[in-house]
Amino acid sequence: MIFREVEDPDLIARTKRGKVEAYNLLVSRWERRVFNYLLRLVGHREDAMDLSQDVFLKAYQNLARLEDPTRFGPWLFRIAHNEAFSHLRKKRPEMEWEPKSLETLAAPRTESVELVLAVRKALGRLSEDQQEAVNLKIYQGFKFEEIAEILSCPVSTVKSRLYSALDALKVTLAPIDTRGAE
Amino acid sequence: MNCSQHDLKGYFLGELARPERGEVEKHLEACPLCREELDRLSLTKAALASLPDEEMPHRIAFVSDKIFEPRGWARFWNSAPRLGFASAAMLSAALVIFAFVRPSPAVSPSATDPAAMEARVESEVAQRLQAVLEKTVAQASDAQNRKTAELLADTERRIEMGHRADLVAVQEDLQALAQRWNNLRVSMASADFGSAR
Repeated sequence: MIFREVEDPDLIARTKRGKVEAYNLLVSRWERRVFNYLLRLVGHREDAMDLSQDVFLKAYQNLARLEDPTRFGPWLFRIAHNEAFSHLRKKRPEMEWEPKSLETLAAPRTESVELVLAVRKALGRLSEDQQEAVNLKIYQGFKFEEIAEILSCPVSTVKSRLYSALDALKVTLAPIDTRGAE
Repeated sequence: MNCSQHDLKGYFLGELARPERGEVEKHLEACPLCREELDRLSLTKAALASLPDEEMPHRIAFVSDKIFEPRGWARFWNSAPRLGFASAAMLSAALVIFAFVRPSPAVSPSATDPAAMEARVESEVAQRLQAVLEKTVAQASDAQNRKTAELLADTERRIEMGHRADLVAVQEDLQALAQRWNNLRVSMASADFGSAR
């Protein structure tokens, strides 16, 4: 008998056969990543939590449309992307008067407050597209090809957004004159 | 060597295939500017990492409930024997269409009442039994009548034949008597003529 780790496609197949427990296990593997991706997009914990639940419910209801179970991650984040931007579009009028406050995010326990504020400020200067590219690449670790699938755009566009974002962040977070001082 | 030929950011982000990665590493050994650039990218990434993932307010879990089940058509469409289901569905649809197109007999309201339906069935059974009984009695009566008529006709025929036989016998007897009477008269006449001579 050969033992191997249960992989996402196994859980997806069991979920399609009506096993809710299998889906709950799949959710437990991805919920933290989805929540943090949404939190960085919408900047509000409760909204990110509500959106995360909506994303996993929608994913469950549409799981039959997932043709390649090995692409579950990008497919799930595509749903999350759509949900987040649908949410942001609805809130856009009030956000114009009250800009998204990154301070609503909980302060990390181990990092210096100055560095955290500097990072948030640097990220806040990026365009939405650049922020999301950084979110998906640096924080979620997706490949260019997967990010292109999530955002429904060419890989070249992903690279362009990410490289320009890194150039902008680098100026603030790793300036030439201070490099090596730490 | 021109630094712009190398995708340093792609290398830093782990997106290059093995041959390109090797070329960039070889270039880095000889290019202090690209090494510096790579250091700055590393610092930037480390700074970004100061914003770690946050814990969720609560976990997400689903229960087995109808509202969370996949839609019926989705489960049907993804089931293995869907062709069989599809065939059955088409057949069912054809039957339903046929049932709607074909004029159906009017159904009285009492048709759905069990008591009325039972009374109707009993009445129908009684009527059919009566009809069968009457038919059987009629058939038996006809057979009996035919038999009686045949017997009567046979008896009449036999009586007629007996009468005829009797008549023939009487006629024969009368003829014999007449013959004997003639013979007697001839004898008497002969005797009278002989005595006269």
